[in-house]
Amino acid sequence: MAGPRPKKRRHLISKRVAPYLFLAPFTLLFLAFLIAPMVYAFNLAIYRTTVVAGTKFVGADNFIRALGDPKFWQGVIVLLKFAIIQIPGMVAVALLIALILDSGTVYLKSFFRVSLFLPYAVPAVIATLIWGYLYGPAFGPFTQLANALHLPAPDFLAASTVLPSIANIANWEYTGYQMIIYYAALQAIPADLEEAAAMDGANGFIYALKVKLPLIAPMVVVTVIFSIIGSLQLFSEPYLLHNIAPAQISNSYTPNYYAYSLAFSNQQYNYSAAVSFVLGAVTAVISYVFMLIVNRGSRA
Amino acid sequence: MAVIELSNIRKSFGSLNIIGGVDLRIEDGEFVIFVGPSGSGKSTLLRLVAGLEEVTSGNILIDGEDVTDLGPADRSLSMVFQSYALYPHKTVRGNMAFGLEVARTPKAEIERRVQAAAASLRLETYLDRKPKELSGGQRQRVAIGRAIVRDPVAFLFDEPLSNLDAALRAEMRIEIAKLHQRLGATMIYVTHDQVEAMTLADKIVVLKDGAIQQVGSPIDLYEKPANLFVAQFLGSPKMNVFEAAPVNGGLRIAGTGQLDLALAQAGVTKVGARPENITVAAAGQGNIDGKVDVVERLGSDTYAYIALGEGELVTVRLPGNARLSVGETVGLVLDMAELHLFDAEGKALAKI
Amino acid sequence: MTIVGKSKRSPSFRRNRWMLSAILFVIWLYTILPLFYVVVSASKSNNDLFTTFGLWFSSDFHLLQNIHDVFSYQDGIFSRWLLNTIGYATAAGVGAALFSTMAGYALAKYQFFGKRLVFAIILGAVMIPQTALVVPLFLLMSKVGMVNTPWAVILPSLVFPPGVFLMRVYADDAIPNELIDAGRVDGAGEFHIFSALTLRLLMPGFATVLILAFVATWNNYFLPLVVLSSAEYFPVTVGLAQWYATATVGSGGGAALFTLVLAGALLSIVPVIIAFIVMQRFWQGGLGAGGVKA
Repeated sequence: MAGPRPKKRRHLISKRVAPYLFLAPFTLLFLAFLIAPMVYAFNLAIYRTTVVAGTKFVGADNFIRALGDPKFWQGVIVLLKFAIIQIPGMVAVALLIALILDSGTVYLKSFFRVSLFLPYAVPAVIATLIWGYLYGPAFGPFTQLANALHLPAPDFLAASTVLPSIANIANWEYTGYQMIIYYAALQAIPADLEEAAAMDGANGFIYALKVKLPLIAPMVVVTVIFSIIGSLQLFSEPYLLHNIAPAQISNSYTPNYYAYSLAFSNQQYNYSAAVSFVLGAVTAVISYVFMLIVNRGSRA
Repeated sequence: MAVIELSNIRKSFGSLNIIGGVDLRIEDGEFVIFVGPSGSGKSTLLRLVAGLEEVTSGNILIDGEDVTDLGPADRSLSMVFQSYALYPHKTVRGNMAFGLEVARTPKAEIERRVQAAAASLRLETYLDRKPKELSGGQRQRVAIGRAIVRDPVAFLFDEPLSNLDAALRAEMRIEIAKLHQRLGATMIYVTHDQVEAMTLADKIVVLKDGAIQQVGSPIDLYEKPANLFVAQFLGSPKMNVFEAAPVNGGLRIAGTGQLDLALAQAGVTKVGARPENITVAAAGQGNIDGKVDVVERLGSDTYAYIALGEGELVTVRLPGNARLSVGETVGLVLDMAELHLFDAEGKALAKI
Repeated sequence: MTIVGKSKRSPSFRRNRWMLSAILFVIWLYTILPLFYVVVSASKSNNDLFTTFGLWFSSDFHLLQNIHDVFSYQDGIFSRWLLNTIGYATAAGVGAALFSTMAGYALAKYQFFGKRLVFAIILGAVMIPQTALVVPLFLLMSKVGMVNTPWAVILPSLVFPPGVFLMRVYADDAIPNELIDAGRVDGAGEFHIFSALTLRLLMPGFATVLILAFVATWNNYFLPLVVLSSAEYFPVTVGLAQWYATATVGSGGGAALFTLVLAGALLSIVPVIIAFIVMQRFWQGGLGAGGVKA
């Protein structure tokens, strides 16, 4: 019969081509706005443009310069310190909140869950400027309180405290988000596991420590990796706070900020691209190494 | 070892009454099975004994001690869950050792007990595997091992075999029976499967809508059911139940049939006969006549479904390969000695 | 603390409950502090900002006046910024969700040549710091004359690799293969199967990606900062930051901007916060689905 056969052929083609068509919009945009800039950045980085000599090919010069640039490495050190200060605290608090909410013992669970997540809805820029005011010597409430109690006003933006202050802003912004992820992971643990543990004599605390935490550990690792990637990209907070603490926060405070300043204050686009590239490479390497360490640990 | 007593146990969730006034005594070393349809409260009752749920009122005593306010672990009980509830991140050894670790048992003692339990359940080679690497039957054995290791005064089983396939279920049933023989411990077991109930139990507790229908040994419940529900719940295929009305000289059953009883019991409204207690004779030669509707031949038995007037089917079990054909009109002969009589409320009346 | 079997009336349970609630409450206070501060400050006059206690209201409730000032400052550019932000975020949110859903669906439910490679590349892309691409993106876009237009913000924001991840996991989980097979047997084309049968099953995941992409675009600062130069195209983040910079660098005249900045901040976070509270159901479920498996 001639009827069914042509239809069948049409379907087979459709089935083979369909996935590519479904992927097409995303892939095209991906190529245009993620891959192309990457390629272009590399292209930029291997040239140098000066007013005098025009544009010429310089190979790896810019990269080598970046790798030897003290400002770049100071920025990297700032990032590493930042990550070490910020991430453990955030993860610990997020886990604590998630465990408390999951234990089902507190009142107003839903209310806490939603309100603790709200900072995620606040743009980093706005969070920074709000905290900037909170920190501020002019009318920050902490300064006011200190004055009222005749205590020395805390200086949140001194050279030694500026990084923890920035870390605090990041904590405030992202703890809720981490908490929601951990909470969802905890909720996925079957309920009868808790009953089995109860029969085994474990109270809630022991159960949380010895069963819940190990079970969500893989999830925690994933979020830590993403947090590391995120913290290596620090820009908005130092950029905004630069205005109220220019001495403590230079315009090369973080590598991203440095790349930005090179491009827009100094017009050094080529070198800026190289710096961005090296930062990207460093980030990728650190994340990959971290993943390997953890994977090997979990497989052992 | 433990004598467990339940005294006027009630459980309600809000306004919903799950268990209404249950009294029960379980002797030391008994294998007791709670059986009933879903919603009967059997799992709830088990969980109340376990301490996983709190009673609304009533008392639970273990060896004379009131444990009603104690948590699960303090009652010295172990439970095997329907879904095994093994800790996914721990090895088999870790799963079995967990409870003992929580109780701060010395390591050497933990190791000894885990080894012994593993040996008795043939799990030694699996001790270092994780649950996800094990089959369903193996996981079930680990769950049992975890229960054994704590040396409880009684074991609780919550439908442990429901998640296994038929062949494995039969195998594990024997395993559990042997476990009981070996340990001699008190065991409370919940199932909806009456085959498990009949084969494993020393004592069966039939539950319906949160109330005990009858308590007794499997054979007692089978041969002398206290009410219609128990009569039809145990035994497969189900007992046939006929409408009955008193008539001169006996009972009129199913509208058309006739039962000659020396003394017809007053108040009989229903009569029950199990499939194996009915035989087939020529039309007109039995108590009721009917037409053969479906015949199932299993080789060892034949199940014949005989249609009476209004389309109700009577199930008859005949040995071997019976000579019946579909459409044939036959007479059903009810074994008088094995008749069950019920009143309007479904309660069983003594046979005369 | 487990509630299994434990009497809700027992003293240890109640003690735990109070202790844990207290810990939660302290954390909650810390979380609410800046938000409360914004509300309080935005309701003060400039003078009161400096003279009254930062964490409580002044007697002069100035909020409406401040809001009015925000919308009238610089010829009402703030409303423009708000509209821009809503536009960018909505376009990016919907677009990213749609494209991520299609891509995730393809990766989850089809076998095709290059599938592993595609997935590995997307995975790798998540590792690349987005900010490292912004400057080169700016230069690229200026070559094609795309800078300083809304597209400069929207188009890059449509690329949302985490969304593809999430949808792949979600599609894998939520759509039984039999459903697709049944559709094929019934003679439906692949796209018809997608739109008529599977899309509604993917809705929770779609909604989650939409919200995540929406928030990411709404909060984005670096990208619009770099690619936009005209204030009329600014989203609220860039615009407000500019006011803030002016307010802090200058003195005297700049100081008057403080209340404006704070009131502007309040106005820019209130819509998203309300949206979050209203849309609770969606993001709580969706984040769970992807989050657990990822």
